[in-house]
Amino acid sequence: MTFSKTLKPALLASATILLGQGTALADPIKIAVNEWTGQHISAHFAGALFEQLGHEVEYVTAGAVPQLAAIAEGSLHYQPELWTNNVGDIYPKAVEAGDIIVVGGLGLEPQEGWIYPPYMAELCPGLPAYEALYDCAQAFAAADTFPDGRLITYPADWGTRSADLVDLIDLPFKPVPGGSEGAMLAELKSAVAAEQPILMMMWQPHWVFAETDVNWVEWDTPHGTCDEASQKRGEACGFQQATVDKIVAKDFATSYPDAMKMVELMNLTNDVQNVLILEVDQNGREVKEVVAEWMGANEDVWQPWVAAAKQ
Amino acid sequence: MDSSSDRSLVVWLAVTVLVAICVVFAKNLGPLVIYPDALVLPVTDPMNTAMRWFVVTFGWFFKAISWLLDWPILLAKSLLHAVPWAAWFVLWIYLALRAGGRGLAIFTAISLMYMVTFGFWSQSMNSFALVVVSIPMAVALGFALGTWGFLSDRAYRIIMPILDLMQTVPAFAYLLPILLLFGFGTTVGLVASILFAFPPMVRNTIVGLRGVPDEVIESGLMSGATPSQLFWRVRVPTAQRQILLGVNQTTMASLSMVIIASIIGGTNDIGWEVLSTMRKAQFGESLLAGIVIALMAMVLDRITWGFAVQSSPTKRGAAGWIICAVLFGAAWLLALLFPPFKDWPEAWVLNPAPAMNAGLEWIFVEFRTVLEAIKRAALFYLMLPIKIGLSQAVSPFTWGFAMTPAVTTGYSLIVAAVAAYFSFKGKLLPALWVILFALVLYSGLTGLAWVALSAVIVALAWQAGGKNLALWALAGVAFLLLTGIWEPSVISLYLCGVGVLLSFIFGSAIGTWASENDTVSRMVRPVIDTLQTMPLFVILIPFVMVFKIGEFTALLAIIVYAIVPAIRYTEHGLRNLPHDVIEAATAIGTTPRQLLWQVKLPLAVPSIMLGLNQTIMFGISMLVITALVGTDDLGQQIYIGLGDGDFGVGMTAGIGMAIIAMIADRITQGFSQQIQARLGVKLNESL
Repeated sequence: MTFSKTLKPALLASATILLGQGTALADPIKIAVNEWTGQHISAHFAGALFEQLGHEVEYVTAGAVPQLAAIAEGSLHYQPELWTNNVGDIYPKAVEAGDIIVVGGLGLEPQEGWIYPPYMAELCPGLPAYEALYDCAQAFAAADTFPDGRLITYPADWGTRSADLVDLIDLPFKPVPGGSEGAMLAELKSAVAAEQPILMMMWQPHWVFAETDVNWVEWDTPHGTCDEASQKRGEACGFQQATVDKIVAKDFATSYPDAMKMVELMNLTNDVQNVLILEVDQNGREVKEVVAEWMGANEDVWQPWVAAAKQ
Repeated sequence: MDSSSDRSLVVWLAVTVLVAICVVFAKNLGPLVIYPDALVLPVTDPMNTAMRWFVVTFGWFFKAISWLLDWPILLAKSLLHAVPWAAWFVLWIYLALRAGGRGLAIFTAISLMYMVTFGFWSQSMNSFALVVVSIPMAVALGFALGTWGFLSDRAYRIIMPILDLMQTVPAFAYLLPILLLFGFGTTVGLVASILFAFPPMVRNTIVGLRGVPDEVIESGLMSGATPSQLFWRVRVPTAQRQILLGVNQTTMASLSMVIIASIIGGTNDIGWEVLSTMRKAQFGESLLAGIVIALMAMVLDRITWGFAVQSSPTKRGAAGWIICAVLFGAAWLLALLFPPFKDWPEAWVLNPAPAMNAGLEWIFVEFRTVLEAIKRAALFYLMLPIKIGLSQAVSPFTWGFAMTPAVTTGYSLIVAAVAAYFSFKGKLLPALWVILFALVLYSGLTGLAWVALSAVIVALAWQAGGKNLALWALAGVAFLLLTGIWEPSVISLYLCGVGVLLSFIFGSAIGTWASENDTVSRMVRPVIDTLQTMPLFVILIPFVMVFKIGEFTALLAIIVYAIVPAIRYTEHGLRNLPHDVIEAATAIGTTPRQLLWQVKLPLAVPSIMLGLNQTIMFGISMLVITALVGTDDLGQQIYIGLGDGDFGVGMTAGIGMAIIAMIADRITQGFSQQIQARLGVKLNESL
């Protein structure tokens, strides 16, 4: 790291603050980096695309809530992969207030629902249909929930959707809030390693599915749109699927019109991301290198975006 | 019997009757059992409105501070990264050598090598930049406030309660307001770090300045010192040791904020590494990164401590510094010639994480039945009875029989017999307490009517500290009720209560053992040092893997952290007793056992009680962490406030935790003083 490289943006930023302006044009585009590999890939893909347009890019680590505050006030510019399922009310509030602009979906197709490891099908033969859970709740029971089954749900600060569903369809399961993503994954890893029962609310694409084999509980109506509040036994649809949004700061479009165009065009699918995640997490390669390699092999995908954005 | 114990009897009789009524008629008392929602004041909305107004009106001021603070961090980062690690190595080892001799130098060398060879150097320097900037600022702020508090009594009365609040409100609760005010980035972490780290400096400055003996001041005055000379040349140097102790504690507090700073983000530092690996449930990786923070804390602690206790810091003069500078330059030169001395090659990085993960997996797969049995026993026979009461915890599945009317009658008879025994021996108050305890245990903390639990808390406060404390406790309880956080507060009380109880029992036992046995002491020291300085998030992953998400895991996490002061203070208290007393006792021929139980332990009570007090504080501060494994206590409310961007919700929960902590603190201190008065021992304030 050299002085000039770090000091220049700071100087510029300070100058703009002093002038009371928004973002200066020569600023690097700041892309939010979260704590998981899939997002790293999206972020570096976006960064590489911006570099094709001749912009400087800076990757800034940011937690789930702070990144929203940062985008709302303009100190971060772009988050290509925002999961709407694990941010609280702060997100809709900021969008409504016009502080954060939603540019559309990234192209990832998320799936949310209840998962179980394949060996549970032996203990509960009716799976994957959710009806089977009524009869084999005890197979999923633990000391603190007996005789009800134990269902690990999202952490309490992500809402209570699983608990609501359990109530609505009257399932003999006790929802246990997972506390945090790390705790949920730790529980899943240990349960699978020891072949213990587990039923857990989860989402994909997620890197854990690259190393752990799971099945999804199926509902009466296949996943898609679902009115979560009006379900009952026999007419259950599970969960309204989350979206993965591309979000930008409110003056991004005026400061970087070409980059905004690129944000609109940018797209990443489950298949691409899963392959790249595997390269990084299993083979221990650098995110940057993996993304560059994929981009080199798939120029036909993104070259048209660059051409369109440059116009 | 004197009048004060008569009054106690009346108060506790009233409380017991009230609790008994609430337990027996639990189903018929409605709003007296479950606090009605209609009586909850809508405080969070006005709080949010006020905060929004504040941000809009004064936001520019805080943004300007934030901009100013950016510069020193940038400078520190550039400097730390520009110099090769080999050169820093030389400087640190020299500092360690001066502060603590050869042992410390070796420890420092090993710690630095760990950061380099495990590939954490660059991230460590990013974290260190934050610490290095925050410490001087926190020290300056703390010293200034401390001096002000020393000079003006009115300032003292304002500062002290604010310090209490700042140290007990968890940092997570003020994360959101800091974000709103200061914007985003490393600066926010710096502000959080300074806010958390300056209170110990204020306290130590005040204690130090107040402790300057009058004779010293008088001799200063007699030699004609001006007020400013008197302060800087007489008071401050005399109070130096205490003030440096403040610097030391500020350093530790600032390091413990590294993780919080990373939650906000802005830099790829060691805290971010811990958070990322924890989020992926990578036990080995997160432990390796967590150890870096522990090592940094221990090295800085020993070095600042070493300088603090040195009487004449300029012993070895300039020659040492010159040698150090020469070696520093040589190391830098070497790094230019041989790049691994600047950037450790990726291929040389050690990574034992996969092996550690495999080891952990082996443990929880092989010992599953044993571990499961431990967890069940703790849940069925200890945690559930306290939480939901014997009335619900006892079932054929858990205890092997149901709580039938016959069993309930048997329980009542046993309690009555014990109470009768006490009252027969003339101990009426203990008899009442037995009945009260049995009633609470029957209905459980969460099942107990709010009226009853409030009465017990206020009565306890009255017993410990008289009318004033009782009024404080009443106000605190009213806050918890009126703001609608009573239920999570009770869960917090239950989790912390059980955690503190177990920590204190095991901790003081280990501490006693360590005080009697040097080998044990030597083994315990590094373990508790690590537990205290390592980010606690790291401990959660293995616990969840072994014991699953839930309250038992949360309890273990609390114990692991809260047991540290219990061990430390017990050992310290037992080892630092007046020699003449021990010698006198040995001379009259007491056995080692008698010596421990009848001489040492009673004498060490003040220190042990201080340990209990700290155990409670540590336990409460863990509630925010335990929420990450799925408990629904006040810590969870703080996360909900954070996730919803709701300042009011997070802040009321934070203040609620502070209130619980402060009431618990005052009550234990009150009882501690009573016990000390009865035993006739006093705390020598060397701690």
